[in-house]
Order: sequence, then C-alpha cells, then structure tokens
Amino acid sequence: MRPLLVALLTVPLAFAAAEPEAKPAADAAQEAKAQAVSEAKPVTEAKPAAEEATPPTADAPEGWMSGTVEIGNRWIGVPKGNFAAYRSVVDLGEGPRLTGLDLTFQDPSKRLFERLDIRGNGWGGDPFTTARIDARKSTLYNLSVDYRKFNYFNFLPSFANPFRDVGVQLNQHSFDTNRRFTDVYLELLPSGRVIPYLQFTKDSGFGRGITTYVGGGNEYPVGTTFRDHTENYRGGVRFDFTKLHFTLEQGGTTFKDDQRVFTNDRNLGNRTGTLLGQQLFLTGLNQPYGIRGNSVYSRVLASASPVSWVNLTGSFLFAQPQTDSRYASIAGGNFASLSTLLLYVGDREALTAEAKQPRTSGMFTAEVKLAPRLRLLGSTMTDRLRTSGAGLFTEQFILGVGAGVRDFNIPLFGQLNRNYNRTQTEAILDLTRWMTLRGGYRFVSGSANYTGSPLQTGGIAGAFTGGELKQHLGLGGITIRPGQRLWFNTDVEGGSATGNYFRTSLYNYQRFRGRARYQVLTNLQLNALFTVLNNHNPTRDINYRFRSRENSLSLNWLPQGGKRVTLLAEYTRSTLKSDIFYRVPQDLSLERNLYRDDAHIGTAMVDLVLPGQGLFQPRLAFGGSYFKSGGSRPTDYYQPMLRVHAPVHRNVEWMAEWRYYGFNEAFYRYEAFRAHTVLAGVRIVQ
Amino acid sequence: MDRPLPMASESQYPNTGRGPVRGAPAPLPALAAVLIFSLGLWGGQQAAPPASDPKPEAKAADTGPATYVGSEMCQACHEDVFKSFLKNPHHVVETNKSKGWEGKACESCHGPGSKHAESTSADDILNPAKAPVAKAEEACLKCHLNRPSQVGRIQGGHGRQQVSCSACHSVHSTPPSARNLIPTEGRAGLRGSKLLRPKSPQAVNEKCATCHQATMAQFNKPHTHRLNNGAMSCVDCHNPHGGFLPRLQQTFAANEPGCLKCHTDKRGPFTFEHAPMRLESCQSCHEPHGSANPKMLTRQEVHLQCLECHSNLPARAGQQTPALGGVPPAFHDLRSPRIRNCTLCHIKIHGSYANRAFLR
Repeated sequence: MRPLLVALLTVPLAFAAAEPEAKPAADAAQEAKAQAVSEAKPVTEAKPAAEEATPPTADAPEGWMSGTVEIGNRWIGVPKGNFAAYRSVVDLGEGPRLTGLDLTFQDPSKRLFERLDIRGNGWGGDPFTTARIDARKSTLYNLSVDYRKFNYFNFLPSFANPFRDVGVQLNQHSFDTNRRFTDVYLELLPSGRVIPYLQFTKDSGFGRGITTYVGGGNEYPVGTTFRDHTENYRGGVRFDFTKLHFTLEQGGTTFKDDQRVFTNDRNLGNRTGTLLGQQLFLTGLNQPYGIRGNSVYSRVLASASPVSWVNLTGSFLFAQPQTDSRYASIAGGNFASLSTLLLYVGDREALTAEAKQPRTSGMFTAEVKLAPRLRLLGSTMTDRLRTSGAGLFTEQFILGVGAGVRDFNIPLFGQLNRNYNRTQTEAILDLTRWMTLRGGYRFVSGSANYTGSPLQTGGIAGAFTGGELKQHLGLGGITIRPGQRLWFNTDVEGGSATGNYFRTSLYNYQRFRGRARYQVLTNLQLNALFTVLNNHNPTRDINYRFRSRENSLSLNWLPQGGKRVTLLAEYTRSTLKSDIFYRVPQDLSLERNLYRDDAHIGTAMVDLVLPGQGLFQPRLAFGGSYFKSGGSRPTDYYQPMLRVHAPVHRNVEWMAEWRYYGFNEAFYRYEAFRAHTVLAGVRIVQ
Repeated sequence: MDRPLPMASESQYPNTGRGPVRGAPAPLPALAAVLIFSLGLWGGQQAAPPASDPKPEAKAADTGPATYVGSEMCQACHEDVFKSFLKNPHHVVETNKSKGWEGKACESCHGPGSKHAESTSADDILNPAKAPVAKAEEACLKCHLNRPSQVGRIQGGHGRQQVSCSACHSVHSTPPSARNLIPTEGRAGLRGSKLLRPKSPQAVNEKCATCHQATMAQFNKPHTHRLNNGAMSCVDCHNPHGGFLPRLQQTFAANEPGCLKCHTDKRGPFTFEHAPMRLESCQSCHEPHGSANPKMLTRQEVHLQCLECHSNLPARAGQQTPALGGVPPAFHDLRSPRIRNCTLCHIKIHGSYANRAFLR
C-alpha cells in the first residue's frame, strides 16, 4: 500500500517538469465569452462560470465519448475512540477504489442508441456503491439500469443500553447488513401516442448479527442470520394525447424472507436474579423463520384538459400483498413461565400463519381557471386499508426427564383497518403583477381500529382499540416578487382536530413557512428560510405540546461569475421542544417527558481556481460541515475536507482529498470517535 | 438558489381569451359536474395538434398578432443557445413531426416571434424563465400537462406553492463539461443547476438543496441516510411532481409508502401490525433526514420513544380511548436498565408474524 501512496503522491511532481501545452484558441475564446456572459447576467444565471466557460457547442471539437473516470486509493488513519461507532456512522474502508465514473457516449450513426450515459460511484469496497446506465434512442426506446449496494453496520451501545449510569455493556443488538438493489426500466417508443413500458426491480438483503431470544422468563443475546429477497415486476401502457392521458399498469411482487436465530453456548441471559426460585439459563437454541409473500397491484392514472380552462386528473390504485409464515423453535435450558407458573427445561414452538392487506386508494383533482388571474384547485382522495392475519401457534413445555410435557395451542388473530379521506379546495389569485395570494380549506377524516389476540402466550384476552381522525384546516400563502432581485414566499397552515390516532399526532396545530431570496449584487445571493410548527393535544392525561423551529440562511458568492472563486455558506439553526406526560409502567404514576434539541448546522464550501496556464490550472476545494446540538442528547459531529486537483496532462488530473470525521457525545462519551481519511488518485477527463 | 427570479411586465399578462366564468358554483360539488361535462366535450375535441397553427413566415406583419417565424430566424441572433439546444432532449420538438412543432421548437415555448424578430425587444417575446409562475407553467404544460408525472401535481406542494418548472429544469442547457467540475459533494459546484433533468444523485441533491437548504443540512447529522455519499438522492424518497401521499412521498407497488421500496422486510403484511406504520408513517418514530439519535429515532432513549404513545389507562366500558396504543404495557420495572430499551425484547417492532407483543 505504501508504494502506491508514494507513486500517487509523486505523479504530479513527475508531470510538473513537463511544459504545459499552449492554451487552445477555442478555450481562450470560450473563457472570454464566459466572462462577458458572467458580467452581463445576474448570479442566478451566471453561475457557475466554469459551466458557462465551455458550453458544449456544435463547433467545439467533441468525440463520441466524453466524461471522467476517477481512480484512487484511500487510507484511513487508525480511528481513535469507538471503532464500532465509527463503522456505524462512517464505515469508509481502505484500499483502491473507483471513486467516480461518468461517461457519455454519443453514436453519430444513432444505430443502437443516440446517447448512452454510464455512471458509477464507490466501487472497490465502499459501503455504498452505485452504477447507472441510461440509453436512449428517441424513436425506439428509453432504457435505464440502476444498481446500488449498501452495507450497513450498526453497533451502538447507547441504543442497546440507554441507562448510562450502569456503564457500558455489550450491545445485544448489532447488525452487519448488505443490501443490493437493481432496477431496470424500459420504455418503448414506437409512436408518440402509445408508450408501453416494463420494469423489473430486485431488492435483496443478507447479513448477520446479534439479537435477543425472549422466552422462559429471560432474554438472551444470541446469533442471527437473515436473508430477504423481493422481486417486483410491472408493466403498462401510456396513452398520451393532446387533451387526454391515461396509464394502465399491472404489477406484482414476490417476497422471501428467511431468518435464523441460534446459539449452542450456555447463556445466563440478562436476568441477574432468580425467577420462581430458579436460576434461568439457555443451553441451545435453533429458531428458523421463513416468510413467503406475493402481491398484485393495479394502477390507473388519467389526466384530461377537455377545455382550455379545466384540467382534471384522477388515479385509482389497488394493491393486495399477502404473506405466509412458518416458524419453529427448539430451545433447551432452564426456564420459568410466570403466566402458567411452570418450570421447564425445554421449549418447542411452531407457527403457521398468513396475512392479507388489500389497500385501495383513489384521487381526483381539478384545476379550474376561473379568470386569467384566478385559479381554483380542488382535490379529494381516499385511502382504505384492511389487514387481517390469522395463524396457529403451538407451544410445548418439556417439564423435565420423566415429568412429561405441557402443550398449548393458541389461535392467533390480528386485524387492522383504516379509512382515510382528505378533501381540499384552494384558490390562487395573481392579485398584481408581483403578488400571488393563496387560500383554502382542507378537511381530513378517518377511522382506524385494531384487534389482536392473544396478547401473550398463555392466552390473555385480545385487545380492541380504535380511533377517529377529524381535522379542519385553513390554508394560506402569499408570494411576492417586487423585482428580479427579491422573491418572498410564505405558507401558513392551521387546524384543529376533534380526534386523532395517536397521542403525539398533529392535533391543534399551526405551521408557518417563509422563504426569501435576495440578490444583493450581481454575483451575491442570499437565501433565508424560516419554519415553525406548533402542535397541542389538550386531551386529559396527554397535554402534549410540541414546537419545532428551523431558521436557515445561505449565501452564494461568485465573484467574476465564479471564474476564480466560488463560495457557498449555509447556517441552519433548529430547535425542537416536546413536552408530554406518560405513565410509568410499574406504578402508573404520571411522569413528564421533556425532549429538547437545539442544533446548529454550518456548511461552507470554497472552490478556488489557482493560477496556472491554460488547462493547467490547479483547483482547490475546501470546507466542510459542522453539527452541534444541545438538549436531550448533546452531540458534536464535524466533517472538514480539502480536495486538490492538479492537471498533469491535457486529459489527466492528479487529485488528493483529505477528510476528517469527529464525533462526540456529552452523555455517551464512550461512543466518540475521530478518523482521518486520505484519498489520492488520478482523474481522467475526456 | 439558481431559481430564476420572476420578472414582471405587462406583456406577461396577455389576454388568454378565456374570460372569467360567471357564477362559478361551489368547487367541490362542481368537480363531478365538471368531469362529466368535460369528458363530453373531450369526445369531439381530441388532439388538435399545433401543426395547424399559422405557417412560419419569414417576416411578421407590422400590425396584428405576432406570427411564427421558425427556429432559423431565432438562430440568427441566438446562435449559442441554438447550438446548445441541438444536444438537448427537447430538440426532438424541432424535428419530430408528431409533436406538431416541426421547425418551430423555439416558438413552441416562447410563442410566435415575429414581433420580437423585428424589434429585438425582450418585451415582444415570452420568456418562461422570467414570467410569473402561472404563465411559465402554461408554456411547459402545453406539452407536458397530460403526462403521468402531472397527475399528482395539484395535490403536491410544489404545484400548489407556485414552484415553476424552470425552477428545477433548465430547458436550454446541456450537461456542462466534466473538465470544469470539481467532483466533491461540496455544493459550490452546483452541478445540477444547469441540467434539464439531473440524473446522478449528487446533481439531484444539489438541485433540491437550492431551496431546501435546511433539509439538506439535516443530512450532516451523524445518523442519516446516505445522501452525502452520493448513494441516494432526494427523488428516491420524494416525487417532486406530487402524488397522493403527503410530503411528496414516493410510492411503491402502486400505493404503499416509498420507504418500503428499499426496506422491503418491513412491508409485511404481518399477522400483528404495529399500527403507526400503517396509520401514519415511518416518521412516527424516525427522522429520515437525519438525527442525533441512533437509528434516526425521534427521541434519545427508546423507552421514552415508546411510552409517549403507550401510556394511557385502558378505557372504561363504553368510553373511547384517547388514542390508539393507549393501553399501557404489562408490568415493566423501568428501574432496570434492560427494561428501558424496549426493543431489546420487542425485537419485531415493525410488525410480527408470530407474536402480538412483537417478541418474535
């Protein structure tokens, strides 16, 4: 690895001796043009100057292929602090990488394709890898292939053991998960009016980790493996006419999920004392879990403009996923059951169950232009979901050698129903040339109920719970644009409810959002954002109060149209305050939960084009982000970076990047980590 | 950030010839009537292509409405835009007869250009990028209105809040030369700002960040989705054109939340559902844009996350519980640290095939 580092770092020195090529006349002309353009245009159009500098005109000499390839090697300084937390948050690894690929092919003959784009990112072992291919022939097809790979690692002690006073314990939930996602979409374009399309999506995941086996009056950390696989097929036809469009689509999915929980070691579990006078332990466990599922779904979309002042759209969506599950468990050890007051040395479980979830949704919207400056928008939608699951759970306690067994056959039943309806009307009025007003009303209603039995093995009677949703909301907004330099937009939403599903749901609430953009100078622009949400649920025993605010200010500065310097700076301040009463399970006394989050987030990035000749102008980008929050979980997380690009040939650049990750928590200090990463390599530009 | 600032002028409010509708009925009851009425009208008015518009003329008349002059006339002055446009996907409008604008691609958006060609005044031509949103939308929706992406337009926030198409789509531009881009996730490069349809995750995210800078800032928190690594983009979870789900959420398998597209193992259906997943959404417990709390939870400790809902006493007979999930759990001694992490035992918290208490 070290020779590679030396080679990569010395490449620019070797090339530096070579005399840079003369500045091509075309480039000089384009730069002059870019400067002229940047002087003439406001910042919103002039930036970034680099882009304007080389507009890909037909006159520019351009081959059938263009793009960039970046390859390099990454080194990680030995992370200080908690390596598991580093892997859970960052997880970048060492070694050679294809860090970026962005190629465009254009076939002059247009035989197979007119344009082919290939992009890739993070190949060579990074925890996130992407690849995408887009191909198009305008009279025949559109094709896109998307592949992504994500590796997740999670091992955070504070999550597993939030009671920080007792010190650090080994995490009993950790997962090392790999996910793969492939998506292929083909759109056929035999005519401009009828467009058939097909899509295939495959999503799979596998991994291993530590989870908990809960049974026999104790819980035991045990090993687990998991593998799931979903395939989604859909196909349809789009009919595009001038005044009417509709899409008919039919799709289906298959689903497979296999999990296994196991251990062969003697395990005392988390219970430190005895239960029913017994020391509980687990000596062996094998628990395979298999789920198979499928679904069919249909989608109909339509839009029409029967007359020039009316636009109508509608959709009908239906899906019916279903699953069949099989589960078995064999456990040995010393167990106790509080519900049956039994002591036993073995436990066998078996389950067969199935569940269905038909879901029907529909939406209809209308836009009526009552006058040149007045529009009326109306929409109504409904979403209905029915879930029903049933199964048989069999459990057998092995009471001991010669003591026999106890069998339990427990029918399972679960049902969740939901109806949701929303109707909204809004008027939009262009009051003057520079002011637009919006106002409207929304009514949301719904009902939900849940039935499940039994609560536990042992057969406590099933529970029924239900809720109703009823909200009336007022909507408003104003957009002001007194000139090209200033734009201001606000949105207000306020509502009151007579019922909602959950204690923390939106009840009586007000939401305000304001955005402003001000172009101070030709090359300097400011953006500001302010949002606030207040929510209050006055129901007895709840009295939930919630308030969140977000203020953000960003600055974009491109002196000389960004020819040499580009600066972006953002600062966001967000506060969140939640206050609710809850009952402590052991004595049902009322406690108050106050959650606070007071965060500052800053981001700054500077791009510099350093002095040089022609194409041989080194570029430097530096900056980073900083996150600091106080309140219930004070956390610092900062990620500065520096990146250098030095052209060493007309088509080759040397690049180097340094990043730093610093993470610290005031309460959970054992999770802090710090790490440096260095990436060096070459960037080939065509 | 690069959203074109609206420019107002008298010419942006031309008489559309529609006229006000007098005595408009109440909106919602009228919807059904409008639908029936309009479907009836539609039958006889199908697809009158704009090819029937006035023929291109070399020079406009001095008086009267402007006429079409053809793209070659535009090229004479706007050479750079014209050549750039040759590589733009919209160039198909110029050559494809079925679109009805053959040879008049420029005027398909900017309107007839004879007066502008004569006067060279910006007041004599429509510039959708600087026009009021309603006017700018008209130029785009002339062709794009009846498309699948527009079906949820009114339902979505962007359509209602007057975000014009050109705020996200740069119609003339082609992708910038790769040579001049510093490929960092630093948004100073603003790579997505000049694309008709940004496709790479970085380009999409940079585009969204120009307005949603506070949301993008959330991704600098430690526990978040992988947007800053270029592995995901905003449109993986949100449909900027709108849809039937709130917050412009993408859908999976027709009408299921887009989260389940990747988190398929949480899809179910389960024998025993955890109600918040179906009645509200994953955001009941998670902050998908980023959080200081592990697993992107909305609270710093798991038992607080759970007990905020699972707290009320059971309702008496004939009374309704104040909220779903109000029945408290069985006796749990929170003084024991192993109890304070609820999901230590309730491992199948997103739903269970086997156990109502989500234990297995």
